[in-house]
Amino acid sequence: MADTRLLKDRVFTVLALVLSALGILPLLYLLITVGYKGAGAILRAGAGFFTMPPAPPGDDNIGGIAPAIAGSMVLALLSTATGIPIALFTALFLHEFRSTRYARIIRAFLMSLLEIPTILVGILVYTILVLPLQGFSLFAGAVALAIVMLPYVTVYIERAFDSVPQTYREAGFALGMTRMQVALRVTLGVARRGVLAGAIIGLSKAFGETAPLLFTIGGSRSGIQVNPAKPGDAMPLLIFQFASTPYANWHDAAWGASLVLLAGVLLVYLLSRKIIGEVNA
Amino acid sequence: MPSHLEVVDLKVWIGDKQILHGINFSFKPSTVTAVMGPSGSGKSTLLRSLNRLIELNPQARIKGSILLDGVDIFKIESYKVRQRIGMVFQEPNPFPHISIYDNVALGPKLHGLAKTKKELNDIVEWALRKSMLWDEVKDKLHEPPARLSGGQRQRLSLARAIAVKPDVLLLDEPTANIDPVNTKKIEESIVELAREHGVTVILVTHTPQQAARVSDYILFIHEGRQVEAGPTRSLVLNPSTDLLGHYFRGEMM
Repeated sequence: MADTRLLKDRVFTVLALVLSALGILPLLYLLITVGYKGAGAILRAGAGFFTMPPAPPGDDNIGGIAPAIAGSMVLALLSTATGIPIALFTALFLHEFRSTRYARIIRAFLMSLLEIPTILVGILVYTILVLPLQGFSLFAGAVALAIVMLPYVTVYIERAFDSVPQTYREAGFALGMTRMQVALRVTLGVARRGVLAGAIIGLSKAFGETAPLLFTIGGSRSGIQVNPAKPGDAMPLLIFQFASTPYANWHDAAWGASLVLLAGVLLVYLLSRKIIGEVNA
Repeated sequence: MPSHLEVVDLKVWIGDKQILHGINFSFKPSTVTAVMGPSGSGKSTLLRSLNRLIELNPQARIKGSILLDGVDIFKIESYKVRQRIGMVFQEPNPFPHISIYDNVALGPKLHGLAKTKKELNDIVEWALRKSMLWDEVKDKLHEPPARLSGGQRQRLSLARAIAVKPDVLLLDEPTANIDPVNTKKIEESIVELAREHGVTVILVTHTPQQAARVSDYILFIHEGRQVEAGPTRSLVLNPSTDLLGHYFRGEMM
């Protein structure tokens, strides 16, 4: 009897190992392909890859993705600067007034926002911003990204607030703090790592999302554009658009941009680990 | 400012369950009153009613009145009540995200008790000395409290509470999880705060020995009802009811 139990245990262990390996295989494949093809493209393009606009389609040269890098930076900055404060205060509100009717409505609204395909958010911003302003702009893209990140960041930060032990909040109230003071000085302070992690989720959404940009920023990549009022480019958009063309040099640019994007997101992640670690110490 | 805290016919419900059935007691300035009783008798509920912390529980319902120097605390903003009635909890709970110094300085800063950095430093040092913690932390005031021992963190909680110079200090079994050495220091602090600074101290405790050591009065509660109340000395020597005698002899938890 004992032998079959041992055998079952072994079988399950091996099964778990094999299945988890299956889970990371696609990721490994992606990292290796993007690393290999991207590095090859960037090496062939040279330093100009980071300073120049793309070469014309079908050209022998790859050119660069500078407009996309600049645009992605502007988009990330603008969208997190608007999205994260809104998410933070929404989360504080939901946490402090959790059982009120209004909080329940907001929560239901956020949850459905989480399920809305991001391309619809792009179309929404197209109709409320791009059409009335008569033009694509980085600003419109940032608004779309902010809307997309809002539910993710809010839910994450609210969860961080909920995990703050009640005893700290009680200590704050017992010290004569008002509700707002407890929220800002105690709950927010104790949960600061979770808040930061939520902000980073927002930042990586801002870097990686493609669909919200399709109808908003215009994909203008003839030169570097950092003016939010003007149309611009972004890395995921460039990858999507270049990959759907038949031109070999644009395919190379897309591979190179994929590697830059991947490295950027990884950098943000490592940086955040460092910041979170320091705050923690 | 020495303050009287008077409880008049206090009844508290949590949901449908009545926890307190009419408590009447006058807590006097410059004294320590021990609130005693078996587990679940309503001691903590009473304590949490005195600074209206009980209102954080939306299920709580309160009747009767609590008078702070004659003024009903339910007619004052709750945060103003709590500025004058401080509290130390059973679990040490210094804020983990700010330094030892800031834990103590936060209250005085929020309530505008210090006009200058120097005044704030003085308040922090005073509170830490009164909590018998100063010598142990004076060289690491700007470190977070995480590395302090449980007993030290409880004394830090005490320092944080008294830094706002409350008239009344509530302590909810503050030494229940603390070793004897730290317990002794906290007891000395409590007595000194009452004797020398006129604070009205209300201490929930499980141990008759502690009540005998530090308290001037005992309020004994059983199943939400006030069973006995009076000077510690006479109650310990000749309890007037069997219930209290049983409790003191450890025959009832």
